[in-house]
Formats: sequence, C-alpha cells, structure tokens
Amino acid sequence: MTDNSLVLRGIHKWFSTAQGPLAVLDDIGFSQYPGEIVTIVGASGSGKTTLLRIIAGLERPDSGEISLNGKAITGPGPERAMIFQQFGLMPWLSVRNNILFGLANTRLSDVDRAARVADAIKRVGLEGFEDFHPKALSGGMQQRVGIARALAVGPDLLLCDEPFASVDAMTRQIMQTDLLNIVTEQNATVLLVTHDIEEALFLGDRVLVFSSRPARLIEEIEVDLEKPRLHEVRTSAKFQELRGKVWDLLQANS
Amino acid sequence: MGPVTGKQLNGPTELRSRLPRPGIVSFALLVVIMAVWELAGRAGMMNPFFFSWPSAIGIEAWKMLLNGELATNLGVTGYAYLAGVGAACILGAMLGLAMGWWRYFGDVLDPYVVFFSAMPRIALFPIILMIFGIGDFSRILIVFLGVFFPVLFNAYMGAKQTPQVLIDVARVFGYSHNRLFIAVILPAALPYLIAGFRIGVTLGMIMVVVAEFFGASSGLGQKIAETAQLYETPELYAWVFYTSLLALLLVWGADYFERWAMRWA
Repeated sequence: MTDNSLVLRGIHKWFSTAQGPLAVLDDIGFSQYPGEIVTIVGASGSGKTTLLRIIAGLERPDSGEISLNGKAITGPGPERAMIFQQFGLMPWLSVRNNILFGLANTRLSDVDRAARVADAIKRVGLEGFEDFHPKALSGGMQQRVGIARALAVGPDLLLCDEPFASVDAMTRQIMQTDLLNIVTEQNATVLLVTHDIEEALFLGDRVLVFSSRPARLIEEIEVDLEKPRLHEVRTSAKFQELRGKVWDLLQANS
Repeated sequence: MGPVTGKQLNGPTELRSRLPRPGIVSFALLVVIMAVWELAGRAGMMNPFFFSWPSAIGIEAWKMLLNGELATNLGVTGYAYLAGVGAACILGAMLGLAMGWWRYFGDVLDPYVVFFSAMPRIALFPIILMIFGIGDFSRILIVFLGVFFPVLFNAYMGAKQTPQVLIDVARVFGYSHNRLFIAVILPAALPYLIAGFRIGVTLGMIMVVVAEFFGASSGLGQKIAETAQLYETPELYAWVFYTSLLALLLVWGADYFERWAMRWA
C-alpha cells in the first residue's frame, strides 16, 4: 500500500443540528494512486464537499483514518492544494499576487517564486493578465487564477471542489479540457468533486458515485475511455452508456 | 461598483448632448444665488441683526485671514479635531478588528457597542466638563467618543463579514492564525474601515464645533457662539463659512484617500 497516494478508511462525520446529530458522511473509504484522477459525483448537498474539506485539513472527521503517502492528515499541509467553487481570490490582489499568495508559506526563494508564478500563468493561459485584479476578469478566467495558484505550489494531491459550477456552460466545457491537459502534463494526482455526471466521466480515470444524506460510496466506476480525451469523447457510445449507468445509480440512491 | 463598461445614459442622449455640462450650470446657479442674496441685503430686505450678505461676510472673512485670527482659531480647532479623530480612528479600528477576529470577545462587547453607538454621545459632554473642566482634554475626549464608536462598529462588521472561502484559502495554503489576520481579515475589512473613517471625519467636525460652543475660549465653534451672542452678524457668517470650508476640504481629503486605498475595487 506504500505506493498509494491517498488512503481513507471508515470516515464518519456528523453535523449537530437543532433536530439532533445529522449523519453527513457514512463510512467512506477508498484509495487513490499517484497520477490518478478520481472524481466524486453525487447530488448537491450530499456531503461531498465536506469530505474534500476533511482531506484538505479544514475539518476533522468524527472517526476514521486518512493519510497521504503514508502520513496521517491532521490539518492543512503544503502537499495538498485546493481549487474552490467560488474561486476564493483576494479581490485586493492582482493575478500575480493572488498566485504568490499561495506560495507565501513555502521555503522558496523570491526568484523561484517568481518563476513558479510565471510558469503557472503560462500553463493556464493568463499571460498578459498578470497585473489585472479579479474584478476585471470573467468567471472562467478567475478560476484559471485559482487553478494556477494551486498548481504553483506543486502539490502531491490537487483537490477540486465543484471547480466549474460557477462558470457558464460553454466556458465549463473548455475549462474541463484545459484542466485535463494541465494536470496530465504535470502528472498530477487529482480528486475532484462535482454534481455534473458528464464532468465526472470526462475528467475521471475512476468515478466514485456517492449517495446523498448521508454520503455513502455506492459504486466505483473505471472510466476506460482513451486518453488524451478530446471533446468528441462526450458523444461516443461508451460515454453515453456510462452516463446512463451513473444516472441510474444516483436516481436509485437519492 | 463594477468596472465601467459603457457610457451611462441619464435620459435622451439627444437632449443631454445639447445641454451645457452640469458643472457649468452649478457654478452659474451659485453666481445667481450670490447676486440675489447680495442685492436683497443691500436693498434692506433683510434684518442685519440676523442676516448678512456676501460682500459684508467677505470683508470680515478677509480681515480674519489677514490679522491671523483665522489661523489662531483654526489651530485650536484643528488640534482638538486631529487628536480626537486620530486616536478614535486608530483605537476604534484596532478594537473593532479584534472583536471581529475573536468572535467570543466580539460577542461579549457587542451589546456595549450597540448601546454607545445608539447613544447621542454629545450628551456626555456636560459630565466631561464637570469632571475635567473647560480645556483641550475635554474637547478631545468628546470628539474621541463621537468618532470612536462608528469607526469601531464598521471595523467590527468588516472583520466579521470576511468571506469564509477567503479564510479557507489562506488556511489551505498554510497561513497561521496571526498571518491570516494580516493577509486576509485586514484587507477584506478595508472597505468597511474606510467607510467608518469617512463617517468619523464628518462626525468629528460636528463634535468639535459643538464642544467649542460650551467648552472653549477660542476655536471656530467658540467664535461662532461668541459672535452670535454679540450680534456680530457678518463675523458670525464668516466663521460659519470657514467652518464649512474646512469640513468640505476634509470630505474631499477623505474621498481622495478612499480612492487611493480602494484602487483595486
């Protein structure tokens, strides 16, 4: 199991509500290999985001074990970076400084930081926008900054929380292809949460289908679609078949 | 607040483009008002006990400027104003941000802030005079109390409303509790802080002038009260004019500072 990148075992989480404890995550366990792109698909509000926040170290599980490269996760760490649905850009910082923001707590020299920022900006295609503030950018471009900020850290694991839920449909498809190219190029390990079945299948090497309230892992689906994936794969018979399968699973477990 | 994407149309462009620029009309209107006021005054249509007119006021204003009376009184008022407003802005911002950052601390002090924000704090001035007597300290203190609470309240709200996602981002990227405050809470609260300072700038002016009505031997407010009691009506209007001019300059200064500090928005 040493080559396993991420290992989760028996993760439980309850929220306390006025009506008593509410189970959010019910016995979640899976593992992920380095370089693998795993997507989690489930209904909105099913607890997927909570799971991602636990892996990021922003929240603690009520029980269960979680480790990355054999090291237990107890809080945020530089080996994990995250992309947020609402982008989470500092409105008072330029594109360049937003990406630098993520590098502030690394032990890199200023020269190395600048080089990483320039490289990340190039990868997400934001050259020429370095001195723009987030307000002047479209939603898609803002999320490109979010992706660049996460990539610049060079994380072992990239966590993506509904990264394209806040951008328009056309931009979403373009950005899915771009994200796939970027992470494939870097051989990054990605765990992405979404409620969009197509997104989960298009991006994932493996799709984890979650039930809702509480979230339980109901099925793992290997996505044996050829790589690199082109936009056209979405219309293939295989893709449509998998889409139908995931749809049925979500319907049966909602 | 968004970026300017196009020309804003305030009605039929056809008509608007044929009208002179609003600034020109504003100025023309001022000239007309001053002329009517002056003529009415000279024609004896106003009781000179209670009213004055532009030329008479102008002569007095000019005399004060030349004989140093303006500078002396401006100095007295400016000192109490700057000391009171300065201290209130710094301490109010610090305590407000701290209350927003340490929620428990904020929750404990919250009712006091609400009480003192609602209270007309000028009502405390007689008590302050009773304890500390007429002097600089009493005036600085009442200006401080006037400005401190709105600044505090805004800073508190600003720190509290920091979007959770920005805090999450900072935590994911390894920011410690203290660095998170400097890197996220403080800049996120800045628009609120500046709104508080703006309120403080104008409120401080009101406080210092009112305080001087009762508790000063010089200063703009004291001069206004004194000339009113002596029915030195043109002088009275000249002091009101200078006080208003000072307030206007302060508001312009605050505008300029706001644009500078918020240039990213």
